[in-house]
Order: sequence, then structure tokens, then C-alpha cells
Amino acid sequence: MRERFLTGYNDFVLPFMFGMAFILIWCLVGMIRIIAQLPREDRRRFFLSFLNPRILLKDIKDIFCDCLFHVKLWKRNKLLGYMHSSIAFGWFMLIVIGHIEVFFYAPHRAKLLYFPIFFRYFMAEDDSTMGGAFFFFLMDFFLLVVLSGIALAMIKRIHSRFFGMRRTTNPSFMDLVGLYSLWSIFPLRLLAEGFTADISGGSFLTKSLNTVFHAFLGNHVNMLPTWWAYSLALCVFFCALPFTRYMHIPTEILLIPLRNAGVKIRHPRKGYAEAEVYACPSCGVCIDACPMGVMKTHIKDTTVYLNRQLRRHNEERIEEISDKCLLCGKCTAVCPVGVEGDRLRIAQRSLRQYNITPDYSRIDTGELVRECSFSGPTGGKVLYFAGCMTALTPQIRKAVESVLTKAGIGYEMMDRDGGICCGRPMLMAGRFAPAEEMIRKNTEIIRASGASTLLLSCPICYRIFRENYSLDGIEVIHHTEYFDRLIRSGAISLGHTATRYVYHDPCELGRGCGIYDEPRAVIAAAGELVEADKHHKESICCGGSLGSLTLGFDKRQAMTANALNNLTKASPDSIVTACPLCLSTFHRYADRPVEDIAEIVDRNMN
Amino acid sequence: MKENIVIIGGGAAGLEAAGQLIRLGYSPIIVEKEDHLGGHLAEWHCLFPDMTPASDIVGRLAGAVSDANIFTNTEILFINHLKDSYNVMLSNGVSIIARVILFTTGFRLFDAARKEEYGYGIYNQVITNSDLEHWFRTGDDDRIGSVPMEAVGFVHCVGSRDEKAGNAQCSKVCCITAVKQAIEMKKRFPDAMVYCFYMDLRMFGKKYEDFYISAQRDYGVRFIRGRVSEVSENIEGKVVVKAEDTLAGKPVRVTLDLLVLMAGMVCNPDSTKVASMIPLQTDSDGFLKSKDNILEITSSSRKGIFYAGACTGPKTVPETLAEARSAALDIHNFIESL
Repeated sequence: MRERFLTGYNDFVLPFMFGMAFILIWCLVGMIRIIAQLPREDRRRFFLSFLNPRILLKDIKDIFCDCLFHVKLWKRNKLLGYMHSSIAFGWFMLIVIGHIEVFFYAPHRAKLLYFPIFFRYFMAEDDSTMGGAFFFFLMDFFLLVVLSGIALAMIKRIHSRFFGMRRTTNPSFMDLVGLYSLWSIFPLRLLAEGFTADISGGSFLTKSLNTVFHAFLGNHVNMLPTWWAYSLALCVFFCALPFTRYMHIPTEILLIPLRNAGVKIRHPRKGYAEAEVYACPSCGVCIDACPMGVMKTHIKDTTVYLNRQLRRHNEERIEEISDKCLLCGKCTAVCPVGVEGDRLRIAQRSLRQYNITPDYSRIDTGELVRECSFSGPTGGKVLYFAGCMTALTPQIRKAVESVLTKAGIGYEMMDRDGGICCGRPMLMAGRFAPAEEMIRKNTEIIRASGASTLLLSCPICYRIFRENYSLDGIEVIHHTEYFDRLIRSGAISLGHTATRYVYHDPCELGRGCGIYDEPRAVIAAAGELVEADKHHKESICCGGSLGSLTLGFDKRQAMTANALNNLTKASPDSIVTACPLCLSTFHRYADRPVEDIAEIVDRNMN
Repeated sequence: MKENIVIIGGGAAGLEAAGQLIRLGYSPIIVEKEDHLGGHLAEWHCLFPDMTPASDIVGRLAGAVSDANIFTNTEILFINHLKDSYNVMLSNGVSIIARVILFTTGFRLFDAARKEEYGYGIYNQVITNSDLEHWFRTGDDDRIGSVPMEAVGFVHCVGSRDEKAGNAQCSKVCCITAVKQAIEMKKRFPDAMVYCFYMDLRMFGKKYEDFYISAQRDYGVRFIRGRVSEVSENIEGKVVVKAEDTLAGKPVRVTLDLLVLMAGMVCNPDSTKVASMIPLQTDSDGFLKSKDNILEITSSSRKGIFYAGACTGPKTVPETLAEARSAALDIHNFIESL
């Protein structure tokens, strides 16, 4: 190939260069800001992670899988996955191959930032370029891939149900600016390259276009305005980018190494949280996931809108959204980029100043700290902490105690005559100091008891005991896991009945602690297990969660009805759960029995 | 006068309305799903504030309707709306064409097992107000031991004024019933401590306040303002109740031999079922909706359909009887105007 112009320059590259410079500076400043906002310890961890080849490899793999191939979206819906990956990966390949072309045919221009973008304008085909047909083909192929993605994106705006999404995000004004400029970039590129296809060469797409519409595209007078338009579209997109959802493209590349380095949210606006907020692509997957979504009035309280308000610093709405959430964690579980909607909200709640701080000093907890005798026929030092929710559903506690007694396990109850809250409700409310106080006291009680196993019935307690307590040497276990282990080891056996059970995954046990299989194994030993319409990490919150600080009972009722509807799709005889809060919430409105796993084990034990 | 009047429900309201209609010269038809008349009243021992035996009242009400057509063990299969009348099909095969239907379908007692934290159906020593009346009446309940009781507790507002239980309404009668039952327990077990856990005491009726004062002064019943938070069982099989005394601002814990849950009145699903055949409107609390809550409390929005008693909301026995008489008069005027 040969160059058409000696200078290798035309004025139309200026808008592109301006936009590019703008966005590069913006991203650089933003990146430095986010890294500077990290606590010192997190920053150190972040930099050190680049020295660890395992983390570095994971970074690269995640960037490819998440940012380019959108693997998570493919798993959710093939069409949705194709739409996103075709645009992202197609565009990425256009840039890469564009650079390779420059490297091959005009290596002395490689230092010009714009040259690979406008390559076809500046270069002309000659006899020696037959080898270049390969690149031309690739370029046209990936342009077609991107265009097909854009076409799907247009269809999605009109009918999102094709893409497995019942609802999609309502774009803001700036989002629309970004959207339309993005949509216009590639058709303009096709048109511009169509004009030059008879000069610079092209492949099946650009060349054919030039031949078919030769009367118009063959006229070189029209050439320059389309290249200008292409450059301007790029400029508008880059300049609008920081104020649109498309900021997720550069931010996600920062978010992935931060996450892999083990950095956590510490402040709702700074550092890692800011990276998450800007990494949100506003795809709206969380809208369908949110249990509050059953009522239209709550759609604007989903994580995607929280992120939007956080970007806008709309304090009033941020507080409202943060307080309302049930913290079921489903938005986090389904988010394709890994925005942690629940943790963002807890961090936001932690900013609130309370005029009254609870003072527990007058409560005498001295007698709770004692060594336990662990009565029982066989050895075993199981300390059973039922928790306050289980105290309100005495059938669970009774069943667990009955199973332990029948299995001959030596146990002692930690809170028979009252105990201290595990601290999770305070933690969920963002009140870390009182929660810390409870954690300290409970740790003291557990250590003094001499137990080797801490058995829990409430997933809310279970999660905080696993995540925030340091109980080295003491095994923390939920009764579903414990019963599963007893069945496996042959310590207890269950009689199988023909009853059809559906299992409801409690948020804190499933998404919170990743316990999905053990409860199912226990139920399958006692009867026929059927699955709900949405289960495992897609399970729907019962609506009773104590995560929400402001949601009233009238609002929750619709959510419970929706969750029950989901559970009874396979018409089970009985609904089984492993959380006292889910149990009492479902019990209120269910049309069939609702039980805890412990009750089933107790009833079916041989 | 040959005018068919169908009365659905043979409880206090149904019987009283039928008695009045007979006196006005009509021959009403009473449809009762149970095998006996009297409804909830027939299950009760005696009534506040004068400790009148409930059986006397049921006897007098039933005596006044001995001439009426009474179908017991009978349910409504369906109701068809004809041009200006209704075709009522009964489960015993009888079909009635009537221009007037009176709903006296009453209420249902809240299922106390739904308040799991109180342990009804889980702990042996937890019973309901209805169970206690049954024991008063028959002396037959193995949950209540033959040994003298040392401590008895009453929990007010079980399933009433409770959004969590889905019932926002006040059941009206439980406050005074608890006072009455507390006095009766104290009479049977003079040495027992009797506690009432309440959130408000609504002593609105004639002589209620005197009754309440007497319970405290003459019988030494202890009233604790505060809801019970949880109930558990100790090793001796007694129930341990945790509550907050909101007047003293302190948590309290008492160990009891018996805990009585004052289950409230909720709408009767059978009533809703029959109402949906016509169909009739129900209120947000699930009870049937009167045409007007002041002027036309016994009328429905449909011609020829009347209400009396607790099918439109919780009511005391005197209120129910007064409403039944009023409905009878309304029906008479309605038939005259046809």
C-alpha cells in the first residue's frame, strides 16, 4: 500500500484527537483519584497484587472475559451476551487490527494516534496489497459484528423481552447523547470506508457497498464530509463519556484488578466504591432481580438508580434508596460487572450520625460468660446459639434440640435464658461500633464455654459469625450443614416419604454464605425435592428481611406473595426453608405448610 | 305473610333477627353449617359483665325461633341472582327463591398458631381464650393440670391490631373478656398470680370499667402494659414469658403454669365465600362492607341483601343483638315497600 498524502494529516482528525485527549486525561485523573482515596493498606495491597503472577493472570483473564466477552451476560441470555460482546469485542478487534495494518503498511506513522482509526482515508491500494486482503476481510468482518450488535441494541430499546429482560433502565439525557453517538459511530465508519473503498481497498462489506451505490459513494466530493462526521461522532462520544453510563468501559478495567487484589468498600463515595459506581453499565439486570420490583413504585430504588444518584450526588435520594433496600444481595449476585449493591448501601448507612449511641454497660452479662458442661450421652462440645429470630419461632429450636438429643450429641444452649444479639442487624443498619461491641462480648462467651462447634439456626447470625467473628479453632456451622453431615456420617438416618418439598434459599444462607447443596441433600433424604422457578442465587427474598429500615408491612406483603408464587410453581406439598425470619414471613400468607428443615429432620428421624 | 327470608348463620345475630321477624309475622329460614344453633356463643361459658351463663342466652334466643324453618348441618352451594330475587341452593338439596337474604355469618377466631412467637401448638401450657372457655364449661382439657396453678398469664391483642398478622382492626371484646377470664381463674385458684399483658385497655362498654377496677382491687389481677416478645419453655415444662413493662421501662420475665392467648376476631372465610357468589363488597379488613357505616350499617349495596352482627366487623353480644333487631325492622320496611 502507499500513502495518499505526503503529510499524513487532514483537519478532520482534530475532533477525534480532541475527544481522545480529553477522555485519556479524564480517565488518568480519575484513576489517580480513586487510587489516592484508597486507605493506605488497600493501596499497598493493590500495587503488590501486580507482582503476584497468579493475580495478574486472573486480572487479564477477567478483563477479557468480563469487559470483552461478557461471559456473565452470555450465561444469562445468549442474545444479550452477543449484543454486548459483539460491540465490545468487535470494536476491540477493529482497534487491534487497525494498529496491525499500520504496523505492516505504514510503520513510520505508528506514532500518530489517529492514523489507525482513519487508515483507509490516508492509504491507497496498489498491486502489492493482495496480502492485505486478509486484514481488509477481518476489518469488514468485525465491523459487521459491531453493526449487528448495534442493531440488536436498537431492538432492545424497543423490546427488551427478547433479551430476557422484563424491564430495562430508563436512560438519562446524557446517556441518550452517549447512546446515539455510539450508535452513529459505526454506520458512519461503514459509510466513510465505503467512499474510499475504491481507493484504499476494502472487503465484502465496504467494497460491495461502494460497487452497489457507486453513483453516490463513487463520488469523491462526498468523501470528506463523511470522514468529518465519523470523526465528530467519535469526538461527541468521547467527550460525553464521563457523564454517561459508558464510563463503565474504562472504569471496569480498573475495578477488576482492585477486586482481585482484595480491596473492599470502606466509604460509599470514595475509592473502591467510586470505582464500582462508575463501573455500573446501567444494564438494568438488577431491576428484574430486585424483590421490590413487583411494585412499579420501587423500580427507581434499585441498584442501577442508586449508582446514578451517587454519580449525581443527590443526597436525599441516595439516603432514601439506601435505607429502603432489603439487602437480599440478589443485585450483587446477578451484576455482570460485580457492583455490590448491598455493601454500597451499608456503607452509605454508616455515614449517618445518631444523636443517641446505645449504652449496653448497665446490662449485666457476667453470668453469660461461663464454662459449659455439655451434657449428653456421647462426647461433643456443641454450643447451640438459637438467636433472637429463632426465639420467636420456637418450633425450630425445639426441633433442633430434639434432633441433637435423639442423636445423642452433647450440647449446651448459649441463649436459653436470654443472650446477646449477634450484631448483624446493627451491622446492616451501618452501625458498626455497637455491632463490634456485641461481637466482642459474644466471642468472650463462646470462648469461655469451651465449645468446639458453634451451631446456629439463623442464617442472619450465621453470616456475621462467619464473616466478622474471629473464632479460630471453633467451627461455625448452620444446622442444615450439621444435619447433612450427621446423615452422611450415618449418625442419624431419615425415613423417606412421598411428600414434595420445595426449598427456599434464604438470602443470608444462600447468596450470603454460599450454602446451597447441604439443605437440598437433607430434604432429598426425607422426601421428594422440587425446585422453585427461581432458585439458588436467583432465589427471591421473602420480603421479611430486617435489612430494610423503612419498608412498611403493606409494601412487603406484595413481595412475599411474589416470592410464594415463585416457590409454588412446581406445586409442592410443603415449603421448606432454613431461616426463622423467612419461616414466619411465609407462614403469614402461605396457602400450604411452611417448615424449617429441622422440623422435617426431627419428624422423619428413624 | 308468604315471603321467603333466608338467614345465613344461626348464631346470636341470626337467631335474634329470626325471632323478631317471626314476631312481625314472617317465617324466616335459618341456614346453619354446624349441627347446633348459637354459633360462638354456644361455645362460651359465661358473659361479661354480669357473668350471665351463655347457655341461658342461647336457650332464650333459640326458644324464640322454634317455629322457624331451621336447616342445620347445611351449607350454601350457590346463589343465583334472578331478576328481582335470589335463588339459594342448599347442600341438603333444597332450593329457595327469596327476595331477602340476611347475612349473619359472624366472624372466625384468629388462629393463634400463626403467632409462632407465642408458642400455641408448640408448648402444652399455651391455650387460647376459646380453649379456656371450653374448660370452664366442660372441665375437660388435659393441658390444664389438676394441681392448683401458681401463675397464669393472659396475652391481649393476639392477631388484633397487628399488621404483621394482617389484621389492623381491634376485636373489641378481648380486653373485657381477658378481665372476665382473669377473674374466673382467680376465683378457681385464689392463690395464683394472674397477669394480663396488654397494649391498651379499651373499657368502652357499660360497667366494663367497674369490672376492670374490681379485677385489680378485689381479685388482685396484675396488669402489665407491654407486648409479650417471646415465650419459651423451661425444664419443668412451665412457660417462660418475656415482655417489656413499658410503664416501668423494664424488661420482665415471668414463669407461668398457663398462658392464655386472647385470639381476636377476624373475617370468616365462609362468609367471604358466600358473599363472592352474589357478589358483595368486602372491606380492607376482609369483613363485609356496609352500604354506609353510620346510616345504613345493616344494608349492603345490593337490593334485598342485609347484614347483622359480626359479619361486618368485631362486635359485642349486645351490639350484635341490637343490630339483628334493627336488620329485622329494615327487612320489614323493605318488604312493605315492594
